Order: sequence, then C-alpha cells, then structure tokens
Amino acid sequence: MRKKLAKLGGLIALVQVVVPSVLLAAGPKAVDLVVVADTRVLTDGMNRYFADLYNTDILLFAVWAVVLTALMGSVLGVLMDKIMTSTGLNLTKRKIIEH
Amino acid sequence: MRKFTAIAAATLLLGLLAAGSAFAAEVIQGKCLEMNKEAKTLTIEEYDINFDKDFKFGHPTGINTTVDVATAKVGMEPVPGDTLRIAYIVKGDKKVALKVMNITKQNLMKK
Amino acid sequence: MEWMYMHMPISGVNILWPGLVLIGFSVGVIGGFFGMGGAWMVTPGLNILGFPMAFAIGTDIAHIAGKSMISTVRHSKFGNVDYKLGIVMLAGTMVGIEIGAQIVMYLERVGLVGSVVRWVYVVVLALIATMVFSDYAKAVSNKKRGEVGAHGAEGLTWYKTMHRIKIPPMMSFKEAGITCSMWLPIMVSLFCGILAGFLGIGGGLLRMPALVYLIGAPTHIAVGTDLFEVMISGLYGAFTYTLKGRIEIVAVFVMLTGAAIGAQIGTVATKYAKGMGIRVAFGLAVVACMVSIILKQYKYGDAAAVVILGAISLICIWICKIMFVGAAHELRMKKAGTPID
Repeated sequence: MRKKLAKLGGLIALVQVVVPSVLLAAGPKAVDLVVVADTRVLTDGMNRYFADLYNTDILLFAVWAVVLTALMGSVLGVLMDKIMTSTGLNLTKRKIIEH
Repeated sequence: MRKFTAIAAATLLLGLLAAGSAFAAEVIQGKCLEMNKEAKTLTIEEYDINFDKDFKFGHPTGINTTVDVATAKVGMEPVPGDTLRIAYIVKGDKKVALKVMNITKQNLMKK
Repeated sequence: MEWMYMHMPISGVNILWPGLVLIGFSVGVIGGFFGMGGAWMVTPGLNILGFPMAFAIGTDIAHIAGKSMISTVRHSKFGNVDYKLGIVMLAGTMVGIEIGAQIVMYLERVGLVGSVVRWVYVVVLALIATMVFSDYAKAVSNKKRGEVGAHGAEGLTWYKTMHRIKIPPMMSFKEAGITCSMWLPIMVSLFCGILAGFLGIGGGLLRMPALVYLIGAPTHIAVGTDLFEVMISGLYGAFTYTLKGRIEIVAVFVMLTGAAIGAQIGTVATKYAKGMGIRVAFGLAVVACMVSIILKQYKYGDAAAVVILGAISLICIWICKIMFVGAAHELRMKKAGTPID
C-alpha cells in the first residue's frame, strides 16, 4: 500500500511539472492571473481561516481541500446509509446505478 | 492498528490546522501610486471596506503603504492608477508582499 | 433580500445560496435517478449564478470527487474493477485532467475562458440531448414492434478493430478478459481526462461507452472501472484546481450536502418509476441548460438563471413525487402485511 501511495505521489508530482512546461512551451506567453482573497471583509472563523490559508500557503490549502472533500463524502455516505435503512424501505432490490 | 491509524490521521489534521493558522497575511486594497522596478517596491493608497455604487472598491483613506514585491507573485503588471489587492506579511520593519492581484485588469466577474 | 446572498470568501462574489443548494440537490436527484453524472449542469449553473468560469469548473470537479466518495463508501467497494486496466488508465486520466486544466488556465490568461467553455458546453449538451431523444425514439419504435429490452447499440463491435492495432507493449487484462495494446486504454482515458479537466465533469458520460465499445470491457467491469476512474480523477482534479487557486471550498460543501440527500431520493425513485415520459423530461432539461448557457453568453444573466433553475427544479419535483408516492405506497403495503416486490 505504501509503495503504491509513493508511486501515486510521484506520478502526481510528475504530471504537475511536466504537463505545464510542455504546454507553456507551445503557446504564446501570457501572464498568470493572481487572485487574492479579501480577508478584510470576512468575519466568521471558517471562511477567514480558509481565505488566509489561500493567501499564504496554497499547497496546504489544496491538501486540505482534497482531504476535507473526501472526508465529507465518506461521512455523508455512511450517514445516508443509516438514514435510508431506518426508513424501512426495501432497497436491496433496486438497481444500483449511481455516480 | 486501526486505532493507531485514526490517531495518526487526527494528529496530522490538527498539525495541518495549527500550521495554517500561524500564517495569516494582511490584505490591503487600493490605488497603485508607484511601481518601483529597481527597488522592487510597490506603493498604493489604501481604500477602506465601505463599498458602494460610486466606490465599488472602497473609499480612499489617504494612507499610503509601500510593500516589497521582490518575492511576490505578481499577476498582470500594475501601473499607477490600477486598483490592486495585496496580501503581505510583516517581516521586521518591512512589509513583504506574497501576492498582488490586479483588480482593474483582470475583472474576474466578467469571466 | 441580502440574506439570500452568501459571500464566497475567495473569488469575492456574492452568490444566491438557495440557487447553490438547488443545483447541488438537483444534481444528486437527477444523477441518482438517471445513473449519469449530472455534473454537466453544475459548471454552467455555477457560472450563471455568478462564479467566474475557472472557479465554476474547479468547484464542480471537487464536488464530483466528494460525490464519488459517497457512492464508493455506500457500496463499500467499487464493484467489479479491473485494477490493472484502472491503473493503466489512471496515467492517461491524470495527464488528461492536467492538460484540460492548463487549457482553462491559458484561456483565462488570454481572457477567453468564459465564452470558449460555454460554447464547448453547448456542443456537448446538444450531443447529450440528441442521444437521449434518439434513445427514446428507438425505445418507442421497439415497443411498437413488440421487442423488449433491445438496446440498439448492442451490435457495435468497434473494439475488435481496435484490438487489431498491435503497437507494443501489448497487455492483457484478466478481469475484463481482453488483450490489447497498452496505448488503447491510455489514449481513451487521456481524451476523456482532457474533456473532464476542461469541462469540470467526471467524464463517465464518455468513458463508459468508450470502455464498452472501444476497449471491449464487459458492462459490469466498465461500470466499476469507470467509478474508480471518476473518483481518482475527481480527487486529482480537485487538487490541481485548488493549487491553481480556482476553487470555492465553501460552495463545494454546500453542494455536496445537497447532492448527498438528493442522490438518495433519485436512486430510490428508480424503483418506482414507470414509463418513458421522464426520459423526455430529462432531454428537455438538457436542452433548457443549453439554452440558458446561450442566454448567459449574450449577457442575459437573469433570464439564464431563471431558465436553468426552473428546468432543474421541475424535473426534481417530478422525481421527488415519484419517490414519495412510491415509498408511501410501499410502506402502507408493508404495514398491511402484503409487501410488494
């Protein structure tokens, strides 16, 4: 498992580096757009935290976004499973066509 | 083993959280007054956060701020008159910019 | 009316949050019911609500990652995955997503991202609509002739030709029971990946038929392998779009919650659905989405929002009605001691 993860990490790094450089060489050069989140107008904790992170450490922000999205998906999946079982509907016979 | 994994994951997450909150950057927005290419500094007149119809980006405050842009990620090149938004951190007595967004030239809302 | 708007912390736009919830919920309901992503309505929908195009794509792709996690967890596994095939395709998918995302970033730099992505969407949606309506027409004519269960395209065997291309290295995939050049799945997944990264969709819409007709995988393997591919590509897409700073994480969470609830209603409704009328409604929803994109392109933003939100709400209400009427009936029967099915 660890080996596989390492390989996947390597692949991600490779794609991140190689693809942009190849494409950049192809097209005419233009300036990247930079976005700064306006943290002055944010008062609540969560928004402020993410916006600060966005401005200071985008890599950590990206890791957070992926981890949280995956986590939230898993939690919602388990939760929905529980709710649907508790309704008492027979769901074993339905066709599973999802995603 | 499972418990260990869970604890490790929780620690990692908390670590990430703590590391993140340590770096909060200040944000200012305002009109570009000068872009000094030799000294690699940028001076703006700050706007406040009272947005209204005539002052979409805030009212001028009269406070001029100079930031160091030597290491900053600067988007479309600022020229005097552009409205900019800058994220910076304070290092000693210097304000070091991390990112400079050119609001005038990259009107995000239109895309 | 200020409370109807939610401030997006990163792009700084104010978004009609009921619209956001509605889009998430509808994608869940419609995707669950028809068994196809439904992500095609999210990117245009978000753009019409006011997200800058690149943010709409990034946010859509991240919400797909979350949604595929939901279905993976719910079934505790992907089902039948040919992992060898999946991993070979992964390389193509990831490179493809990155290329797609880079094209978006390039278009953003030159200031064309909005219009180009919108027109590509119009073409893609026109294709989907054609597919849905011709499927419906076929089913109707089959029914008239008394044929049941015929699936029109069953006779297509393009993959036999594809397997004759013998560019080394050749690989055999045991689960799927096929032997072909390694480049075939890589090229297929690369192409699907580019489209997914560019439009912010899962790509299953294209990858599924490609797996069946071009690569020759049996349908059940294709379903599992595709889901595996969607999850990984979604997670990678979310990562790379976040790294490029084009994601609105709060919006992802709002939509994901709506989608999780909606998907249950949609999937349960399939159990009670009868007749083909709903397929026509689906086709009409696709057309409505297409129309609203064109309206947005010509700066009729409000009209566009009304058209797309109206169309998806109507179809959602229809599916919800099927689900609640059916479920109530089943529970009543169960109480009376005569369970149906």
